[in-house]
Order: sequence, then structure tokens, then C-alpha cells
Amino acid sequence: MRAVILSVLLVLAAPVLQVTVVNGWALPGGVPDLVLICVIALVPLLRTRAVAGAGPGTGAGALLGFAAGLAADVAPPADHTIGRLALVLCLAGWAAMRIPADDGAARRVAGAALVALGASLAEGVLAALLDGTPWASALAPGAIAWTTGGAALVTAGLALLPRRRSFGRVPASRPLYPRGGRRA
Amino acid sequence: MPVLLALAAVALIAADTVIPLDPLRAFGSAVYGGLEDAASSSVRWASGAGRLEDLERENTRLRAELLAARRATPPPAEGNGYQVVSAHAVGFGRDGTVTIDAGADAGVTPDMTVFDADGLVGRVLRTGPGTATVQLATASGASVGARLEGSREVGLVTGVPEHGLLRLGLLNPSADVKPGDRVVTLGSRDLRPFVPDVPIGTVVTVEPAADALTRTALVRPFARFTALENVTVVLGPLPDAPAVTDTSTKEPEKKSEKTNKSKKLKKKKKAKKKDTSRHAEGAR
Repeated sequence: MRAVILSVLLVLAAPVLQVTVVNGWALPGGVPDLVLICVIALVPLLRTRAVAGAGPGTGAGALLGFAAGLAADVAPPADHTIGRLALVLCLAGWAAMRIPADDGAARRVAGAALVALGASLAEGVLAALLDGTPWASALAPGAIAWTTGGAALVTAGLALLPRRRSFGRVPASRPLYPRGGRRA
Repeated sequence: MPVLLALAAVALIAADTVIPLDPLRAFGSAVYGGLEDAASSSVRWASGAGRLEDLERENTRLRAELLAARRATPPPAEGNGYQVVSAHAVGFGRDGTVTIDAGADAGVTPDMTVFDADGLVGRVLRTGPGTATVQLATASGASVGARLEGSREVGLVTGVPEHGLLRLGLLNPSADVKPGDRVVTLGSRDLRPFVPDVPIGTVVTVEPAADALTRTALVRPFARFTALENVTVVLGPLPDAPAVTDTSTKEPEKKSEKTNKSKKLKKKKKAKKKDTSRHAEGAR
């Protein structure tokens, strides 16, 4: 449960960090989309609570993405069609949830990078179609590269982290592998 | 569930395209504006800039007077100074917009001019209680009435967001324009959305006349839109400002008036407005 609360708080705080800090960076080519990176990186944390086949399932990822996207849509300097980011991030959260948990860390990182790339492209296309953003700035390769790289990096970090510290879940008193299903 | 949420998002997009969902944006401004303001001011406080607030306020007032003083056209009948409020850029968006930390509570309303020490920043798009969203002059949808400072030729400046440049289209196809010419705002009725004679930028290249209907040139803006800090919002003309007097004869008086004023500013913030108008009298 702690992971869920933490994830929701983080994705709701991400728009603030994006507009106050990240967008001020002078990176070559553009800046990463922090909200998208957060959603893709945090969705796997939600899955750890889900019992296979039941529970939140893929819906939790989509819900987290939708909430984050809507927050980013209405956070002040934004001046685009409301729902644009909600749609893209909802699909990104759903897709990130579909990455099998029992894949190797390398495959999960690759999957996260692929979702980030696809979501960035979809966002750019929607921006150009719905809000008349010029194609060159809607699909800036630099920004997409930063976002994809950032998502891969954060996913890799989180994939390695919980092995050593129990990241808000599985208290030590509980048997570590209840049904033998969890991979070490 | 994912399908439902995706449909909800599509419904939001459709709804916002047909009827702008302004209540939702207002909610966003109220909640996230406050958060951004807090985050940004804590960063500024941490960097020790908090004690500069007084100086910034003073600077803002002087900047407004400078702007009013360099106006070549006769001022509107109702006054000859500007009532201004200073603000910080607290959030940078990717739609050619920034958030500033002055909102409806400070008297900011949509379609007000925003400028900084370098030149024109943009106009206020919408306001929340404590923050406002400013559309930059370089935004893809922005257009500003402009004129060349020397020849007074009239044109329209639009954003070219990908290069951080502006495009000036002069109404007179045979207008004489060359690189290095300064471009200033033309000014609008009732000072909204733009007050006259705010510097915009300098002409960098003149584009070859393609259609001979307008003359176009690329303009490099003075303001650094990616590193905005302290900006000024023009609320309107000063109320009850006295008639224009000669600047040159009043020069010594202006100085004493100013030192007098800055002392008072520390004591009474309330008296600021009245004081400023008195100073404006000294400046003319």
C-alpha cells in the first residue's frame, strides 16, 4: 500500500518539478518529460501488490497514468487541450503494466524505453494535430531522447534497488517467497 | 478499465475543443499555481535571494517609469505613468508559456503586458488566485503589433518558436528595413494587451520579398525567454496622474524625491501607490 501512495504522490508532484525545475534546464535539444518518466518507472511498483490474474491488474497502471496526465494538463503554464497528456499517459501506464514482471532487468529496461519512445512520439503527434504546435518542436529528437534515456535509467535503478532494500513492501516478518512465484 | 480511462481522456479532449474547460484550468491554477509558487520561492529563498525583494520592487517601479519616459507618442489622456506589479517567473511550460507568481489577488487580469529588464516578454493569458499564465512573444500562436523604432513603419511580430526568433511582417512592402533596426511594440487601445514602445528585439535578417504584399524580417528578441527571472506586469495607467511637465527642468527635484521615496517605501508599503504617482510627477 505504501508503494501505491508513494507512486500517486510522486506522479502528482512531478508536474510541479517539471515546470519549476526541469523546464529551466538548458540541455541540448530539449528537456525530458519528467511526468512520463515517473509513470513508466513507478508502474512496476504497483504491480507488486497485484495478485496474478486479479487485483488492480493493468488498470492500476492506466489509472496512475491518467491521474498524472490530467494533473500535467491543468498545471498552470500548460496551454494545450485538456486530456491530451491524460490520454497519452493513460496508454503509457497501461503499456508499462504489460511488461512482464518476470523478465530480466535488461528486458524490462528495454521495454520501458520502448514505451517512453512510443508515448513521446504519440504526444508529439497529438500536440501537432490538436494544438498546432509546429512539427519540428512537437517531435524534437533531443527531448524524446532525454525522455527515453531517463525512463530507461530510472527503471534500471528501481529494478536493482528493491533487491537490497524492501522498497515500501514485503516486511521482513513475512515469508519472502509466499508461493514460490516471486523471482529472487 | 484502461479502455474506460482512455475514452474519458478522449472525451476530455473533445469537450475542451468544443467548449474550453476553464473551470478545470482554474482549479489547476489554484492548486498547482500555489505549489509551483511555493517550490520556486523556496528555491529562491535557499539561494539567498529573499532579501533582494525590496530592491526588486524598487527596480520594477523604476523600470516602469523608464518605459513611460521613453515613449515617443503622446501618452493617453488618463495618465502618463504605469501602474505595475513585479513578479517572478516560477514555472516554464512547453507551450510557449510561463507561470508568474502574481495573480488575480495582485490585480493581474488577462491581456496585460509583461516585460522585463531586457524587453517584451508577452501578455497574460489567464490568471489564478496567486499566479498567472503568460504567453511568450515567441509562442506559436502569439502575435504582437510592432513598429520599427527609427522609421515608425508598422508591422506584426509573430513567434517562430523552434529557433527562439520572431518574424516581423511589415505592412508596407517597400519599407526600408535593415539588420540592426530595433523593433518596439505598437501599443493597443487601453494599453491592452500591449503598451506602446516596449523594446522587442533587433532585426537580424531581412527575408527576400516573396509576394510583395508585406516585407518580412527575422527579429532576435531582447528578452531571454529561457532564463526569465524578475518580470513586470503593467496593470494600467496610473490613476489621477498629473499632466505632462518638462523633464529637463525637473531633474534635480527628481533625485531628492526619489531618495525621499525609498525611505518611505520601507516604512509604509500601503502608501506605495500614492507615492509612485507623486514620483511620476517629479519625473515629468
